[in-house]
Amino acid sequence: MELGVLIAAISDTGISDAGKAIALGVGAGLGSIGAGIGIGLIFASEIESVARQPEMRNELQSIRWLGFALTEAVAFYTFIFGLIAFFL
Amino acid sequence: MKRPPIWVLALLGIVLLTAAVYLIFGSSGKNEAFQPQEEFRLTPWISIHIAGIDMSINKAVLYLFLAAALTCWAMVYIAKRMQEHPNKIQTAVELSYDLTRNNITRGNLQDPVLATKWFAFIATLFFFIWFSNLLGYLPLPTNTHEKIDIFGVQVPALGIYAATANISIPLVLTLVVFVSYNLEGIRTHGFRGYLKTFVPAGITGAGVPFLFVLELISNFVRIISLSVRLFANILAGHLLILFMAGGLVVLLGIPALGVLTLLMAIPFFIFEVALVATLQAFIFATLTSIYIGGATAEGH
Repeated sequence: MELGVLIAAISDTGISDAGKAIALGVGAGLGSIGAGIGIGLIFASEIESVARQPEMRNELQSIRWLGFALTEAVAFYTFIFGLIAFFL
Repeated sequence: MKRPPIWVLALLGIVLLTAAVYLIFGSSGKNEAFQPQEEFRLTPWISIHIAGIDMSINKAVLYLFLAAALTCWAMVYIAKRMQEHPNKIQTAVELSYDLTRNNITRGNLQDPVLATKWFAFIATLFFFIWFSNLLGYLPLPTNTHEKIDIFGVQVPALGIYAATANISIPLVLTLVVFVSYNLEGIRTHGFRGYLKTFVPAGITGAGVPFLFVLELISNFVRIISLSVRLFANILAGHLLILFMAGGLVVLLGIPALGVLTLLMAIPFFIFEVALVATLQAFIFATLTSIYIGGATAEGH
């Protein structure tokens, strides 16, 4: 009896929409945590390296942007999958 | 009496302005009619169907052609008017030429013959994606389902969209890159030799098939990662600008929120134009040249 009510409630479109919204919000939010830590690590180690060897600055610059863009993209992957969950 | 710091005054001003706007306009309730995803809908303007394939001209096609035309025109124009004493635009183009030639191509392709061969391709990728991204932040009258009346003429509303904010264009570019670097690898090592480079040197026995399958999968995952990276960055930037510069206000129906979101929209816009647009073009070109370099390198 209770199970039937539960299943009926889950198949309700309002709850399904809420679930999609939660998937988008929580998914994209949790995804940004990892990317945020990653970007912090990249810049931290770059600052450390430049402080040790200031003459390496120009060489490190392109590596830094490469690492930054690769890490930043991870946040957007979660965002895109959140959007897929939201609209499909 | 000591004067309070400027940021305290600014903060106070923003709070007061928000409160004033809220008191005057209040809240008009949630707006159900406004659909944010409409901004990214591709309405066919000129319907073309050839053999069951939809090839209609729409917003994305317009932006694609604009970006391609602008890239060709700008580069040919600069190349024809080379001067002894370069002006600002020529200096900027020469700087980007230097970036694509020495930093992106030569930095990742050790073989100078290979670098010369692939420089044109990689530089074209860079400039096309760069122009396409930058064009995406220029408001153009392309929003044909929301018309504004200017002196009796129905003009499409201004909207921002980029060819690269649609998955199909990054995907096609990625497929071209994927085919090129695999073909270049096969040309260098031969078909069997190229497959052998997938397994790192010094691995024998049971590890070989496992690593081979792993590397083969990672090779194909590059198609997804390279295309989705560009597409998602540009799409997320456009969504952010859309919501911050008014979408959120219209959606929730609270005009006072606009005071706060517009303040955030301006830094986001500058960040997108100044950093993300150039960075994504740079990343795409750099990864292309890294992939070509990896496919042709001796051993893995």
